[in-house]
Amino acid sequence: MIEFITIPGVLLILGAAVISFFSEKIRPALFLVFPVIAAVVILTRPEGYTVTGSLLNYDLVLMQTDALSNLFGIVFALGALLAGIYAFHMKELGQQISALTYAGGALGVVYAGDLLTLIIYWEIMALASTWLIWARRTPETDASGMRYLIYHILGGGLLFAGILWHSVVEGSIAVESIPMEYTPANILMLLGVAVNTAIIPLHTWLSDAYPKATQTGTIFMSIFTTKTAVYVLIRMFAGWELLIFLGAAMAVYGIYYAVICKDMREILSYHIISQVGYMVCAVGIGTDLALNGAAAHAYNNILYKSLMFMAVTAVMYSAGSSKMFHLGGLYKKLPWVLGLYVVGGLSISGIPLFAGFISKGMVIDAAGYGGYETIMLVLLVASVGTWLSVGLKLPYFTWFDKEDYTGELKPIPVNMYIAMGILAFACIFYGVFPNALYTFLPFETGYEPYTVYHIVEILQIVLLTFVAFWFLRKKLAPELTTVLDLDWFYRKAAPAVRRVFVFKVDKFYDNVEDAILATARFLSKKFKNPMLWLNPFTDKKNEASRYSPSMEVVMSFIILSFLVFAIVYFI
Amino acid sequence: MKTIHWIILGIIFVITLVLEFTVLAGYDSHWWNAIPAFYAIFGFVICYALVYSAKFIAKKIVNRDINYYD
Repeated sequence: MIEFITIPGVLLILGAAVISFFSEKIRPALFLVFPVIAAVVILTRPEGYTVTGSLLNYDLVLMQTDALSNLFGIVFALGALLAGIYAFHMKELGQQISALTYAGGALGVVYAGDLLTLIIYWEIMALASTWLIWARRTPETDASGMRYLIYHILGGGLLFAGILWHSVVEGSIAVESIPMEYTPANILMLLGVAVNTAIIPLHTWLSDAYPKATQTGTIFMSIFTTKTAVYVLIRMFAGWELLIFLGAAMAVYGIYYAVICKDMREILSYHIISQVGYMVCAVGIGTDLALNGAAAHAYNNILYKSLMFMAVTAVMYSAGSSKMFHLGGLYKKLPWVLGLYVVGGLSISGIPLFAGFISKGMVIDAAGYGGYETIMLVLLVASVGTWLSVGLKLPYFTWFDKEDYTGELKPIPVNMYIAMGILAFACIFYGVFPNALYTFLPFETGYEPYTVYHIVEILQIVLLTFVAFWFLRKKLAPELTTVLDLDWFYRKAAPAVRRVFVFKVDKFYDNVEDAILATARFLSKKFKNPMLWLNPFTDKKNEASRYSPSMEVVMSFIILSFLVFAIVYFI
Repeated sequence: MKTIHWIILGIIFVITLVLEFTVLAGYDSHWWNAIPAFYAIFGFVICYALVYSAKFIAKKIVNRDINYYD
C-alpha cells in the first residue's frame, strides 16, 4: 500500500484530493507539500526500483526508475513546487486541484513502466490541464479550451489505439525503444505522442490555448505537456530519422511566429514549439550525445521557460495586459522583473554562464557531428531567431522603447519574486556548474561545453544579431493584430465544415426518415384492406375480416403459389 | 544605447575575432570554419533575413484584425 501511494504521480493526484478538504488559507501551502514529498521519494528510491500491479490479464509496472525518468521526475517535481510558489496568491480551488492533478499526470507518465499505465496518466494530464484554460470563464477561453480538449482527446485516442495494436502484434506493453518501422501501430503511437509534442502541423492547440489560459495556469502548462511528450519520444522513438526534420522545421516555424507575434504570452508559446523542436531533432539523431542533449535541454527549458513565463505573467498581473502594444517603458517601474526575465532570456539564447549554453550546444553539436550539418545550420538559424524574438524584441518593447510607462500598476506579490528568484538562481547555477546537471544525464559522453570554439561561436552570433536588431527594431514595433496559424482551418472554416459534416448529414437523415415514414404510411394504408387492390372485382365495401368468396379465391391462389414454390425449391 | 555600450560590445567582438584567428586558427570541424568570422556574418545576415521575411509573411499571409475570430 505504502509503495502504491508513494508513486510520485499517485501522490500528487491524491494530494489534489486532500487539498480540497482544506480552507483557502491553508491550501496554497499544502499544495507545496506534495511536490516536495514526491521529490524526496524520487531522490530516495534506488535506480531500478519498481512497483508492479495487475489489471485483468495485464501485468502493470506502475513505477520504474532509471536515470532518465529521475531526471524528468525531479524537474517536474521542482517545476510543480516553483509554479505552486508563484501561484501562492491564487486561491481558487478548481485551479489548484487541476494544477496538482496535472503535475501528477506528468510524473505518472515519467515513471510508468508499461503503456497502459502511461495512457491513463496521459489522459489525466489532458483533462486536468483543460480546466486551467476554462477557469478564466470567458467565451473566448471556453471555445479555446474545448478545442484544446478535443485535440488532446484525439491525440490520446490515437496513442491508445496504437498501444492496443502494438500490444496485440508484439505481445508486450512495456515502455521501451521501438525499432524504426512504420507499421500502423507505431504510426498511431507516434501521431498520438506528436500531438502532445506539438510537432507541426499538430501544434495549433498549444499556440491557441497557452496564451489564453489563466495567468498561473500557463506556467504549469509550459512545464508539463510538451516535456512529458519529449520524454516519451526519448524512451520510445530514439533514432527515428523523420523526427530530425520535423524537429528542425518546428525550431524555425516557432521562431517565425515568435518574431511576428506581438503578445508576450503568444511569443513565448510559439517559442516553446521552437525549443521543443531542438529536442525532437535531437531524439531523431538518436546518438548518446543527442539524447543527453534532448534530456538536458528539456530540463533546462523547464527552468528558463517557466522563469520567462513567470516574468511576463508578473507584468501582465501588474499592468493588466500581455500585449506589448499597451506596454513599453516599464524599466523604471518593474526593474526586478526585467532583471529576472533577462536571466531567462540569456539562458534560452545560450549565452555562456547561463543554463541554455550547456544544453543547446549539445543538441547543435550532436547534429553537426552526427552528419547533419545542414540541420545544424537550421538550428543555428533558430538560435538567431530565439535571441532576436525572446531575447531582444520582447524585453525591448515591454521594458524600453518608451520613456516611461504611464498606466496604473498593481503591486506584484512577493511569492512571485521568490519563485522567479529561485529559477534565476538555478539558471545561473547550472550555467556555471554544468556538471551538476551532466552527472544526472542518462549517458556518459564527456561533453565539454566551455570550449573556446563554443564561446566564440555564440558570442559572434549574439553580438551581430544584436547589431542587426538595433538597426531593424522599428520594423518589429508592436501593433494589435490577430496572427493566423493552421488553426484557421478548423476555426474559420468551422461553418463550412459544419455545413458539410453536420447540416448535410442531418439533412440526409431527415430525408431518409421522411422516406421511411412515408413508406410506412403508404403500406399501412394499403394493407388495412388488401382486398381492395388484390381483387379488383370485389365489392369496394369489402372488409378484410369478413369472409367472402373472392377472398377464398385469393387465399387459395396464395397457398397454391407457395406450394408450387416450395416444391420447385426443394426439388 | 550609449556610446559606452557600443564600445563594450565592440571590444567583446574584437576579442572573439582575436580568439578565432589565434586559438582556433587550425580548427576545422565544419566546412564553414574556413570562412573568417562566419558566425558573426551568419548572425547579422540571418537576423536581417528573418526580420524581413517575417515581416513579409505577416503582411501578406498571417496578420489580421485583432477581432478577426470574434
